[in-house]
Amino acid sequence: MSRFGSLVRTALRVNFGLSLFRPREILRRKRDLWMIPLIVLGAASLGPVLYFYLKIIRTVHGWLAPTGQQAVLITAAVLAGQVFVFIFGFYYVISAFYFSRDLEILVPLPLAPAQVMTSKFAVILTNEYLTIALLVLPVFVSYGLLEGAGAGYWLAAGLVYLFLPVIPLAAVGLLVVGLMRVANFSRKKDVLIIVGSLILMTAALGGQLWLGRSAGASPDPEAIARIFASSDGFVRSLGAKFPPSLWATKIVAGGSAGEGLKSAALFFGMSALLFVGLVAAAGKLFYGGLVGLGETSGRKKALGRRALAGRLSSGRRPVRAVFLRELRIMNRTPIFLLNGVLSVVLIPVLFALMAKTGSGRSDIAGILKALGSANPVASVLVSALFMAVSGCLNGTSSSAFSREGGQFWLSKVIPVSPRDQAKGKFLHSYAVAVLGIVAAAAVIRFTVRPAASVMAAAAAYSAVGAVALTSLGMMIDLARPLLNWTNPQKAIKQNLNVLLAVLADLAFFGLLFLLAKFLGRAGMSAAAAMAVLFALLTVLSAGSYRLLLAFADKRYPQIE
Amino acid sequence: MIELRNVSKSYAKGRVKAVDDLTLTVRPGEIFGFLGPNGAGKTTTIKMIVGLLKPDRGTVVVAGFDVRKEPLRAKAVTTYVPDTPAVYERLTGLEYLNFIGDVYGVSKKDRLARIEKGLEVFELSSAVGSPIQSYSHGMKQKIVLIAALLPAPRVMVLDEPMVGLDARSAHHMKNLLREHCQGGGTLFFSTHIMEVAEKVCDRLAIIHKGRLVAEGTMAELRSRNGTKESLEHIFLELTET
Ligand SMILES: Nc1ncnc2c1ncn2[C@@H]1O[C@H](COP(=O)(O)OP(=O)(O)OP(=O)(O)O)[C@@H](O)[C@H]1O
Ligand SMILES: [Mg+2]
Repeated sequence: MSRFGSLVRTALRVNFGLSLFRPREILRRKRDLWMIPLIVLGAASLGPVLYFYLKIIRTVHGWLAPTGQQAVLITAAVLAGQVFVFIFGFYYVISAFYFSRDLEILVPLPLAPAQVMTSKFAVILTNEYLTIALLVLPVFVSYGLLEGAGAGYWLAAGLVYLFLPVIPLAAVGLLVVGLMRVANFSRKKDVLIIVGSLILMTAALGGQLWLGRSAGASPDPEAIARIFASSDGFVRSLGAKFPPSLWATKIVAGGSAGEGLKSAALFFGMSALLFVGLVAAAGKLFYGGLVGLGETSGRKKALGRRALAGRLSSGRRPVRAVFLRELRIMNRTPIFLLNGVLSVVLIPVLFALMAKTGSGRSDIAGILKALGSANPVASVLVSALFMAVSGCLNGTSSSAFSREGGQFWLSKVIPVSPRDQAKGKFLHSYAVAVLGIVAAAAVIRFTVRPAASVMAAAAAYSAVGAVALTSLGMMIDLARPLLNWTNPQKAIKQNLNVLLAVLADLAFFGLLFLLAKFLGRAGMSAAAAMAVLFALLTVLSAGSYRLLLAFADKRYPQIE
Repeated sequence: MIELRNVSKSYAKGRVKAVDDLTLTVRPGEIFGFLGPNGAGKTTTIKMIVGLLKPDRGTVVVAGFDVRKEPLRAKAVTTYVPDTPAVYERLTGLEYLNFIGDVYGVSKKDRLARIEKGLEVFELSSAVGSPIQSYSHGMKQKIVLIAALLPAPRVMVLDEPMVGLDARSAHHMKNLLREHCQGGGTLFFSTHIMEVAEKVCDRLAIIHKGRLVAEGTMAELRSRNGTKESLEHIFLELTET
């Protein structure tokens, strides 16, 4: 146990980069002091989000309380939390189980495969607690306070929260371990694993949705009446898609003690069962999927003169060459791909799923549509925000320089000005951002269905804003690039710059929000305020891009 | 072609003096060997020549361009082979070579001819389509070498290029480098192999603890030390602590 304990402890330390992020170090080194206001501002901009979320919870509780159906809040929170865990779990599980370099150290140690995997599972579980905290905890706490719940509630809620990620995570783990075993037979493993897991994820979620759809496609009046008549009608109709959320609700806010106990048995039993299943599967399949992951599919075939000539270009084209290099390296390094490009698609997909929660016209998408048509200006801004978040809140730009690692010497000796290299990198990061914007736009188009003019305006705002956010992320990474890594995880996942850039982005959104509010207060018409905002965004973007190029010229010679 | 004037560099905030007031001239078309014991400051000097490190004092001029003031012009005529071949593991050998061709601006015709030749000499033709990740240490070194020859640079700077190459490849490499200099190119390289230095180099320099202790042709070194002995002997004598 002690060996296993220290394994878990070490894994946790590494995961949170505890040895990397030393506040005292930042205070001592004057050069890094600029991070402090950034962290404060970024954290502060989460405040309004939380405020609005709490307000929504209160309002919904107020609506439901008269019919005695307020427990549906718990069901919704658990359901949302589990969907989140499921989706992020895919990404966490693949990168921790299969693409982390520490396996090269762990595998030769005298540990059972199940122990290694369990330690990784523990790390992912902690990650998931943090991921869903902002989503689930406000609901649990508000509900308890509004209902004036006793100790029993808090105890049950705590337990449910601790077990909440286990079922979806163990399910993901089983799927991925199985997939890896199969993928190991193929030669293009990297690609197969990522594509395969995307397909599995879509299939699993699609199945859920389809189930939910067919269960309550067109709510006929009678069914609605039935829902309102019984005290847990809503809970049932929402929880039908995913029974564990139903059980969780019964445990926390169930009517009778008997029903609570039965649900508890189901919920915790199911968690234990899946976990044990995963451990058993790990013993058999885990290392089988690992072996030979590092080897590549080398077709050792000499290229003829024709083939050779066909793959060569001509003349000097530095920006394009850097862009292509960035694109290839990013797409071929699974850890980079998972953290950068994949997360760009993940956020919109997650939203699409959330939006379709609930049945028929009363789903979240419907509510959003109703809200949006009442206030087109707000819907442009909110859509733009969503697109920008999807495109920019990832590690692509903020690891643009760190990703070069030990190969940075090449960038210093080639006859390409730092400014041109930064342009190539910018193009790549911006292309990823545009991919996110397009994915988000597609999701908005097919769920909320706003007017075409709203879509176009939102896309314009986010495309311009993304220039500023991309430049900002790149500048942060350029200020303190992390080049001495051997494990690519360090360059992007455990890179403090990525976190700093996310905080900077949040601060950016926060400031824009304050500005919009201020313009509204100052009595400016909506159209004029929008124009001012757009002009400001354009100026900021142009300015930050130029600043980035100048900064590259200044920084490259300094980095040794 | 390469000129170092009173160049100094220290590490760890001045606590380790790696290169100390070094002055050195490498003439056009010359093969110049750079010798010294481990930790003498060879790699540090080379890194300052190619612009990877900034000298604390002194100037480095390559092909008439001060490497700090006109870095791009100096880099455009220089290529560099580091002591450890850290290259883009996820690119194929060919993609890497093409990248180098793109940034130095090599015409397609030249690219094809030079790459074909390099691949043939080093027997890399069958590996060039695979990711560099799958190469052995020596293969990586060879691909970096082919890349360094690709722009037909006026100046080539190599840090211990023979390490890790098998006998046949080392032999081919010497020939390639000689050809490069016969075409008017200049070559500057560090090495620990006295035999190679003695046979291949037009002129030599020996540094010890960051300071220049000898410079000249083999004949000059011999006469200055009043001996008919091998380079190995002279080296041992000059670098005694
Ligand atoms: N990054 C560094 N930080 C601190 N000191 C360094 C660094 N690189 C080199 N040194 C020190 O500078 C001195 C010269 O090192 P350098 O690498 O130039 O030697 P070298 O002649 O290339 O040796 P070798 O033959 O072993 O390659 C040594 O004392 C070394 O310890
Ligand atoms: Mg050295």
